[in-house]
Amino acid sequence: MPFDLTSITPYLGDLAAGARLTALACLLALAGGLAIGIVVALMRTAALPLARRVAEFYVDVFRNVPFIVQLFFLFYGLPEIGPELSPFNTGVLGLALAGGAFTSDVIRSGILALEPGVLEAAQVSGLSRLTIYRRIVLPMALRTSIRPLGAVFVNLILTSSILSAITINELTGVAKIVASDTFQPFEVYALLLLAYFAMTTLVSLAAGALHRRLNRHLQGGPV
Amino acid sequence: MIQLDGVIKRFGANTVLDGIDLRIAPGEVVSILGASGSGKSTLIRCLNGLERLDAGAISVDGARIDTPAGLQAARRACATVFQLFNLYPHMTALQNVTLAPVEVLKVPRRQAEEAARALLASVGLGERADAYPAQLSGGQRQRVGICRALAMKPRYLLLDEVTSALDPEMTAEVLAILAKLAHEGTTMLFVTHEIEFARQISSRIVFLEQGRLLADLPTAQFFAPDGGLAQPRIAQFLSKMSKS
Amino acid sequence: MRYSGFTWHDVVVLLQGLGVSVGLFLATTIIGLALGLAWATVRYYRTPVLAPLVAALAELLKNSPVLVQLFLVFFGLPVLLGADLTPVEAALITLSGNTAAFVYVIATSSIESVGHEQLETARVFGLSRWQTLRRVVAPQAAAFGFGPLTGLLINQLQVTSLISVIGVVDLTKVGAILNVRTLEPFLVWSVIGVLYYLMARLIARVCARAETRLRAHSEWKGL
Repeated sequence: MPFDLTSITPYLGDLAAGARLTALACLLALAGGLAIGIVVALMRTAALPLARRVAEFYVDVFRNVPFIVQLFFLFYGLPEIGPELSPFNTGVLGLALAGGAFTSDVIRSGILALEPGVLEAAQVSGLSRLTIYRRIVLPMALRTSIRPLGAVFVNLILTSSILSAITINELTGVAKIVASDTFQPFEVYALLLLAYFAMTTLVSLAAGALHRRLNRHLQGGPV
Repeated sequence: MIQLDGVIKRFGANTVLDGIDLRIAPGEVVSILGASGSGKSTLIRCLNGLERLDAGAISVDGARIDTPAGLQAARRACATVFQLFNLYPHMTALQNVTLAPVEVLKVPRRQAEEAARALLASVGLGERADAYPAQLSGGQRQRVGICRALAMKPRYLLLDEVTSALDPEMTAEVLAILAKLAHEGTTMLFVTHEIEFARQISSRIVFLEQGRLLADLPTAQFFAPDGGLAQPRIAQFLSKMSKS
Repeated sequence: MRYSGFTWHDVVVLLQGLGVSVGLFLATTIIGLALGLAWATVRYYRTPVLAPLVAALAELLKNSPVLVQLFLVFFGLPVLLGADLTPVEAALITLSGNTAAFVYVIATSSIESVGHEQLETARVFGLSRWQTLRRVVAPQAAAFGFGPLTGLLINQLQVTSLISVIGVVDLTKVGAILNVRTLEPFLVWSVIGVLYYLMARLIARVCARAETRLRAHSEWKGL
């Protein structure tokens, strides 16, 4: 009786669909979170105190309030003040906002790790502030941030399971249905665990490889 | 003409530049000598706007650099070469040289690249235009730094101890290039420890001691016993430098 | 359209939920710390079969969603073991294990940060492995790991919010109840969010205080 996996096979299609939804939500959230994170990181390293304080407040809130509470706030609260977003869009928004807070941490570290001399060289050659950010600060900060950004993405994938609580049929949501249909919760959830583990390991390995590729010009002695 | 009037710069309780008056006319090659901590690098950093003045004024070709427009104009007229090279590590030598001309001077990319390759070839790096800074030696990196500065066709070249981080062989490479530039009539302001070099190519020597100008003389006069050497502090400094 | 207004009784319910969250947080933190440190000790001794097993388990728990772990324990284990689990029991087991995995990682990296020369020196002086661990390694590792540990605790506080999904009446569950009854999502979820935020701040402050106390105690004050 235990570990009879054949009863799950009819559901593989649904599970795959759920996995695709998870992937889609996470990728969208990563893109949004990266955009937000870059803006917030720039604000945190800005000269203007107001910008810094607003940015720090944002990071503070999203780091110290549980994600599910943030999600419920958006899911139940947003329709009151206006936009009626689908559960999926609400979920992606929630993930992006939370992800943005963590991303900004990573990018801020990347910016602070830049050699000041290089920035000075850019300044005195007359480059505009925007150009310096676009061609020097961000490319360099992102290159060093790939591995920690991979960790943030892993976190997003794990957190996305919570989206099942607002009726989204991503991987965990579908698994719940399969578990109750097949009366084999242990097998289903154990497999689910391994599936997430496989996904996150893949992402970590990919991040490592990407890091090595993007940074290959930055090491190595004279040739 | 670069003009400094009564320039004062403090870092906390420390007055690093204590009332500097200096003129640099086009075509001059001026060396700034002095002990470590005498304010030499700070002077250059005030000129290119990296440090703000506490008092006094600096103007480049008539425009004061304490206005945004004046600073921008000054930064186009002056180009800086740094002690630690400060190349953009994620760009090739070629890209390092073409970035500012393309973005600031709006030179078309193709033209900028041709000019850059010519510049790099003239300093012996023609083959290495597509190398990244991490793949270049210190001397090569500094040569790229010089090309990067020259690519902007500056009226004034500011050089901040550009050989201090290089070993003797690489120092000689770079000094040779700088000598050629001086010979060709480039206006240069050097901060350097290379006394012999300064003596050979400068038209004028300025000596800084604890933020004050002790001497501002044509080269020959600076090294004359009744000129610069008459000042005990200068004589002491020169003898110490020649011993090392 | 209001379904039902707020009453003073709601404050009581809120505090009860808060108590449940805090109680489970403290219990799972203590158990998780003990378990995680035990695992780290196993790793330190490099026990043949146990050490890699422990490492694999920690890796699995770290890289899979806590929600799925909760489902596995609450829905899956009873089927496997034939015995029922209450939501609170399932929450205790799951969160303790999850915390232990992260404590394990922090502890092992802190131990590794203590220079190898110290271990060799201790060995040369005849100290046993246990004595070395207790007298030389642990104090330094503890100082090193304090910062990451504070971050972990704050994170695990957020994680407790997920036990509401399997029916534990914690702070988040109270929020859900109040939300459905009063239909005031903004107010309800803001209050819940603020309460979690304040608790997180409290933890941060307590840990900072403990850290200075610990360091002051171990600072060599000279002759």
